[in-house]
Amino acid sequence: MLKSAVLDMNPALLKSSTFANEPKWLTDIRRRAWEKIESLEMPVFAKINYHSWPLLKLAADPSINVSVPKEVTEEAKNYHLATIGQIVAKLDLSDKLKKKGVILCDMQTAIQEHPDLVKQYLFTKSIHFDENRLVAVDAALINGGAFLYVPHDVEISDPINLLQFQDSRQATNFINHTVIVAGENSRFKVLQRSATVGEVANPAHIMVEIIAENGSYVKFSALDSLATQTHAYINRRGYLEKDARIDWTIGLFNDGNTIADFDSDLVGIGSHTEMQTVAISTDRQTQGIDTQVTNYAAHSEGNILQRGILLGASSLVFNGIGKIIKGAHGSKAQQENRVLMLSPKARGDANPILLIDENDVIAGHAASVGRINQDQLYYLMSRGLTKEVAQRLVARGFLGVVLSDIPMVEVRDQMVAMIERKLVNGQGTE
Amino acid sequence: MATLQVTDLHVSVADEEAKTTKEILKGVNLTMNTGETHAIMGPNGTGKSTLSETIMGNPKYLVTQGDVTLDGVSLLGKTVDERARAGLFLAMQYPAEIKGITNSEFMRAAVNATRPEDDPISVRAFLKELDKNLSILNMSDDMAERYLNEGFSGGEKKRNEILQLMTIKPKFAILDEIDSGLDIDALQVVSKGVDEMKSPDFGVLMITHYQRLLNYIHPDQVHVMMGGRIVKTGDDSLAQELEKTGYAGLRDEFGLDVDLVDEDVPAGNGGR
Ligand SMILES: Nc1ncnc2c1ncn2[C@@H]1O[C@H](COP(=O)(O)OP(=O)(O)OP(=O)(O)O)[C@@H](O)[C@H]1O
Ligand SMILES: [Mg+2]
Repeated sequence: MLKSAVLDMNPALLKSSTFANEPKWLTDIRRRAWEKIESLEMPVFAKINYHSWPLLKLAADPSINVSVPKEVTEEAKNYHLATIGQIVAKLDLSDKLKKKGVILCDMQTAIQEHPDLVKQYLFTKSIHFDENRLVAVDAALINGGAFLYVPHDVEISDPINLLQFQDSRQATNFINHTVIVAGENSRFKVLQRSATVGEVANPAHIMVEIIAENGSYVKFSALDSLATQTHAYINRRGYLEKDARIDWTIGLFNDGNTIADFDSDLVGIGSHTEMQTVAISTDRQTQGIDTQVTNYAAHSEGNILQRGILLGASSLVFNGIGKIIKGAHGSKAQQENRVLMLSPKARGDANPILLIDENDVIAGHAASVGRINQDQLYYLMSRGLTKEVAQRLVARGFLGVVLSDIPMVEVRDQMVAMIERKLVNGQGTE
Repeated sequence: MATLQVTDLHVSVADEEAKTTKEILKGVNLTMNTGETHAIMGPNGTGKSTLSETIMGNPKYLVTQGDVTLDGVSLLGKTVDERARAGLFLAMQYPAEIKGITNSEFMRAAVNATRPEDDPISVRAFLKELDKNLSILNMSDDMAERYLNEGFSGGEKKRNEILQLMTIKPKFAILDEIDSGLDIDALQVVSKGVDEMKSPDFGVLMITHYQRLLNYIHPDQVHVMMGGRIVKTGDDSLAQELEKTGYAGLRDEFGLDVDLVDEDVPAGNGGR
């Protein structure tokens, strides 16, 4: 195993992550995970070699900066919960929602104030702490994140917005773990926005567990824009019970190297997920994105749509994994993975992987790695647009199909601006 | 007044499979001024779309001889977007469909392409103009918010080409079979749009197979194209004559050595 894939097993690391007044069950999870780290393998991302990335180069003696920079306070305006590292910059949940039993807070507070609820969901259903080495590291060292609990039958029309900054003003560890629980027949939208403050090179570990109980509906969107010097591991997982549905829309616009694992486990009969991811890679960046749907239950349905654009000498690999377990009869799994290459030096890949162990199913895939359509480019240019502007329009159109699924107009605008900025910068480097 | 001039234009296309080139235009001459309306008629496969695409600057077409000039300046070294910004517009026979870009944002980008970078059109002014044009063309507001030509019917695509024409306001417009696939009502609406553009600073070249379009938009000159050349130029009445005699009559009159696709169509059906 390469050195970079090995964690320095310094007990100070474990100690530095522990929350104040932490309950014993959590300390136990940490200890059990810690003990397993060395015997577990790093997760495999087909066609991506990330083993030299400093994902496990964690600070044994991390420092915490309690001041909240102005950019965070300003950005926080539109959010219900805003954190920078382990510090809460804002928490604002309406009394109306509180009365309905909705809980929203940072992970540390959740563990102190709602230990029994958190215990019921953290690493119990969707993500298991010993799945692989990175997950075990995160389970042992979890030091922040959010907890959102929506009780049964509660419907929330406006999205719940979470803003989570990685604090790279100093060497510190960002092991951010968010748990979202949708009680039976609840319905709501969540938006998770992640970004970096500061210039220090720290890895980022972001995990999200969504537990969607019977008949619930969660519309989850995310926009990630971590810094160039941040190596990121992102793991978002849905656990869907009977007739539950999760719609995911994820914009992966990090400037640094990223591996991302987005999974939905269709455990309940009739459960359904739509997983959409768009990404841009620029410069020398490498990003590997696995999106997986596993149909465990009969009549479950999972569809994957992944779209990416490459500029400069970057790499971007989409693996779409559709797995149908024996017994999941009448289930459906479709996927579409497309990458568009705007530079001859880029390396893009779109791999559908179907693992089907049941006959009575409908499954299919489409994949393409292509360059920009010349007829479209000619048409736009024939109306006076320069080649660069026309290219950007086609590229934005290619990713833009998911934009309308982002519930917050400010974030949608941010996403458009990010696409534009990356395309302009990327075109400049050619 | 501006002048668009085509002189002794020879154009070939490359057949990628056979690795050969084929000459399609064999010496076209045509002069148009702003304020004028011209029509080109001619049998299928004779090179009408080739002429319009070549004037516009489609890189698929290779000019082997002759010139295309705008006010005396050659356009041949210019790219398609440069020609568009110089004032040319081509309403295409088969417009591309582009998902993810709305019609309205595309048109705004096109309007801004001819303006200084620090002086884009205001959103309000743009929308006002857009609304006006939509209503002239009997198009609903949501057509502007739909993705560019995506899922548009044949007729809707044609209307959308005219909407772009009215919004971009070029000096010269070439309309390649804007009337094909339109029902009578749509034809009237589209003609109204073109009529609205009429001015001493605007010239239009219509390519059509049907005399009926010329009932709505009266041409000053009608050109007949056969075998890659303009073989006859006249006024309105030439179109009516063609409608009666068909292209074969004209070919025989001039003793042209041209194969017509539908040789056995009786005279009187006029190239239909
Ligand atoms: N890109 C191309 N590659 C190969 N051949 C071409 C290409 N474009 C045109 N041609 C050929 O050139 C000839 C003229 O085509 P063009 O489309 O200009 O005819 P047209 O007069 O517009 O016909 P229609 O009335 O059917 O629209 C045809 O034989 C056509 O097949
Ligand atoms: Mg044609």
